[in-house]
Amino acid sequence: MATLGSFVLLATFVSAAYALTASVAGARLRSRRLVESGVGAFYFVTALMTVASAIIVHAFVTGNYAIRYVQHYSDAAQPLAYKIASYWGGLDGSIMFWVFLLSVFGAVAVSVNRERYRELIPWVIAVIAGTEMFFIFLMVVHNNPFSTFLTQVPAEGKGLNPLLQNFYMAIHPPSLYTGFVAMTIPYAFGIAALVTGNLDDAWLRAVRRWTMVGWLFLTFGLTLGMLWAYEELGWGGFWGWDPVENAGLLPWFTATAFLHSVMVQERRGMLRVWNVTLVIVTFFLTIFGTFMTRSGVVQSVHAFGEDRWLAALFTGFMIVILIFSFGLVIYRLPLLKARHELDSWMSREAAFLANNWILLFSAFFVLFATMFPTLSEAVTGERLTVGPPFFNKWMTPIGLILLVLTGIAPLLAWRKSTVNNFVRSILWPTVGGVVTGASLVALGIPVWSAGVCFALCAFVFIAIGQEFVRGAEVRRGVTGTDRLTAMVGLVARSRRRYGGYIVHLGIVLMFLGFAGQDFKRQETVLLKPGQQTTVGKFTVRHDALTVTSDAQKQMITGQVSIFEKGEAKGEMSPAKWFFNKHEQEPTSEVAIRRAPAQDLYIVLAGYDVQTQAASYAITINPLVDWIWLGFGVLAFGTGLALLPESAVAFAVAKVPAGAITTGLMLLLLLLPVSARAQTATTPQQVEPIKESPLKRQLQRDLMCTCGACRSPLNDCQMRPACHGYREQNAKIDAYVAKGMNRDEILAAFVKEHGGEDVLTAPIDRGFNRLAWLFPYLVGGVGGVLAIALVARRSSHPREEEAPGQPRTEDAGLQERLDDELRDLD
Amino acid sequence: MSSAILTEHEAAAAGRPGRQTRQDGRPALETRHTAASAAAFHPWHFFVLLSLGAATVAVLVAGPTTPENLVLLSIVIGAAGLAGMGMYRTLAPLASADAALLPERLSPGARAALEREKRLVLRSIKELEFDRAMGKLSAQDFDEMAGRLRARALALMKQLDDGRSAYRALIERELAARIGQAAGPAAVTAPARPPVEAVAAAPPRCASCATSNDADAVFCKQCGARLEGPHP
Repeated sequence: MATLGSFVLLATFVSAAYALTASVAGARLRSRRLVESGVGAFYFVTALMTVASAIIVHAFVTGNYAIRYVQHYSDAAQPLAYKIASYWGGLDGSIMFWVFLLSVFGAVAVSVNRERYRELIPWVIAVIAGTEMFFIFLMVVHNNPFSTFLTQVPAEGKGLNPLLQNFYMAIHPPSLYTGFVAMTIPYAFGIAALVTGNLDDAWLRAVRRWTMVGWLFLTFGLTLGMLWAYEELGWGGFWGWDPVENAGLLPWFTATAFLHSVMVQERRGMLRVWNVTLVIVTFFLTIFGTFMTRSGVVQSVHAFGEDRWLAALFTGFMIVILIFSFGLVIYRLPLLKARHELDSWMSREAAFLANNWILLFSAFFVLFATMFPTLSEAVTGERLTVGPPFFNKWMTPIGLILLVLTGIAPLLAWRKSTVNNFVRSILWPTVGGVVTGASLVALGIPVWSAGVCFALCAFVFIAIGQEFVRGAEVRRGVTGTDRLTAMVGLVARSRRRYGGYIVHLGIVLMFLGFAGQDFKRQETVLLKPGQQTTVGKFTVRHDALTVTSDAQKQMITGQVSIFEKGEAKGEMSPAKWFFNKHEQEPTSEVAIRRAPAQDLYIVLAGYDVQTQAASYAITINPLVDWIWLGFGVLAFGTGLALLPESAVAFAVAKVPAGAITTGLMLLLLLLPVSARAQTATTPQQVEPIKESPLKRQLQRDLMCTCGACRSPLNDCQMRPACHGYREQNAKIDAYVAKGMNRDEILAAFVKEHGGEDVLTAPIDRGFNRLAWLFPYLVGGVGGVLAIALVARRSSHPREEEAPGQPRTEDAGLQERLDDELRDLD
Repeated sequence: MSSAILTEHEAAAAGRPGRQTRQDGRPALETRHTAASAAAFHPWHFFVLLSLGAATVAVLVAGPTTPENLVLLSIVIGAAGLAGMGMYRTLAPLASADAALLPERLSPGARAALEREKRLVLRSIKELEFDRAMGKLSAQDFDEMAGRLRARALALMKQLDDGRSAYRALIERELAARIGQAAGPAAVTAPARPPVEAVAAAPPRCASCATSNDADAVFCKQCGARLEGPHP
């Protein structure tokens, strides 16, 4: 089977090369049979990749340990689902999985658009086949997943990394890859349009849907990644600004920017160069993300390890992409002139420009901060850490500005909004935001960013709600139906507009969840059986510690009972699992009690089987579930915008009144809230381990030195048992006892560690100052440039058609125009 | 379809059997497609049958084993069948006669672009009306922008109308050129070619049930009787 697999990969490479050559030759010679043959070869690649994938999955399921990759990432005791998921569990397989997905997506895109965009298709095939060839080449010469042991075939597999044996992790990579891969399709169409010179808006229509699909999968993948981090890593958070997480976020920013600016081109014929550039940058960032995670240029929890050769190959490929793509853009610049200019700064175009600018800024900031340690190492020879505090400091205000735009842009009209009407539109949202903000201040909300975020969420929520209500009112006036029908009709008629608004609502919900993180409470406590502690409104009683095992692992489980205001609310069982052959990397099986207001999140941090004592890290995570709910709403909105015309006609006819609201209510109710009545006893109360604010701050400032988690001390997933955590903590205690302040302690740590990479954010001096200056520089200079450019352009006289009144002889045409306009509704 | 009929007519005039001529003279892919859809057996049938057969043999040969092994073996073989089809799809066009990318030339991007732009302008007017109704635009701004857009839409419609006749002329020219190609030297000596409508308007009628059939039909689609006329 392994030989067959290797052979299939070789054959795939050859047929991809043939597809590329035949398509290009066919397009140049205008030979239909060559183009058709190229299309056939392109499908053939998909079929071959399916064969190769089926072979490797077969090898995993049947435990063919003669294949190195299979032996390394699976064992016989693994459940079937994880055996299949092992396919993308390692570097080699993930590359193959990537090519498989790309070939499937490419085949679907080609087969759907073959007739409509005949001129473009040969070039689309050439670009996708070229990308496939690069990845297949990697596999054939360097990372062959079918390579076998030459001698001594092991009888057993090593097993998949226990951290990856999680439901979310099984579906997270496919989703993220699908998102990445889907971004290749817009790029291929963009390049095809550039090559053929068909640069009207046709190619945009072909790719808009693909970008939306890719964007949805990317968002889904990122959300699943967050869920995985939340449930499996056990540090109580969901986003650690790890390079691999950032790799997924980078193209998300640019794809979001593209989805907005594409509307400006469709409606106004502006931003044509910008859109092509965004498509290219998005694709480039998907490849760059893959490069970051696979070549080992950045250190990360879930990078695949260092590989210089792979890094060199990827660098070469990325340089080719950049030169080729931007060379074409420059060559075609004369065809990419904008047809219109910006009419007013108070227009939707302007808001979209601002949104694009901020999204791009975010992408470059995240890229820069992620790469800064590597850059610093190359320049100064010293490796640094750019951790969550640095990212949060910058991304919080950026996120808040984006949130404001989410609410303001829908209120603005295309071209030009009148001041009076804009003020009228923005009045109620602003009142809502101010009232929310004021009440939060009155209630004494301590964190400014969260307070502002809540106020802005209220603002956006009211702004979008108002759009729906006013739109429905207008439609009701036209059609004379009741409010609900008008609302459904409104959404069905302008699915893109209202689907987009629903996506914005999803974003608001997610922001609620993000803001809730500022109120997170984390306590650690050591309990003997029968003892209890109180965190927030929850009382946690430790009942027992059990040790069990199955074929795959040994499980240490803590049994705790939860009480809320004296009333028993059920039991929870946080655990530590020790997988066979991976005993050194126990996984935390977090117990989570979900509720819309707050999650109770308990991790079994340490234990003593003899005394049955257990130490628990107890976290109260307010509003975190709104992130997942927000994603649900966002996916619904995207799905709505993606629906074809016919599907909505059907839906409008069949949807019962209020169905959407009912669905949302159901979703809310489904959030598991368990309530079981029990009588509480009065066990001994234990206080959580007290830590001074200085110590907590230092835990955020310093990295854990265990080498496995690469997190700040307070986020280390193995604490408090982790040796790095214990050593660092002991040192902090010693320094604090000496009466040293924060700066002195940090300086002492740097001195002792021999480098600044022990800090979670670089100190602002020397070369490191660049890290702190860069966002200002890029933001400021870029913003000024963009404004200057647009201002210069909009000051040019418009070469638009004269408004002039239509002549009388056009009366027939006028009538036809009116008819067509009526039919359009 | 009409072009196929025409070729047949030319072929009949040249005294060659109809079906063969059609395959020689028309764009190969279209002909193949028409022939395939008429036939009961498609190439993909062959590959599906082959994969099913191979999967059955593999399952029998595999002997006692786990169900997931058998399922995956069958999937591997199914995928191999798919690959066979892909291979066929790659090679088949090469074996057929070439055709230039004519259809693309026939449908000039200009017209489609005009249509698209018109739709875009119409949508913009709609959007503007909606924004006006929502109170986002002043009456003055609306009148100015909508006026501009309407003028643009009218200009586009006019351009499209003017273009339609030119477009038809282009089709006629292309058609004439193709007919010329297919008939070869005969076309040069026979300038008085019957118009498209004349040929298409004479469907063979069945002698026994009086059903009118397609021009290239050999048997009646209603009763199955052999048709009289130019067909052997």
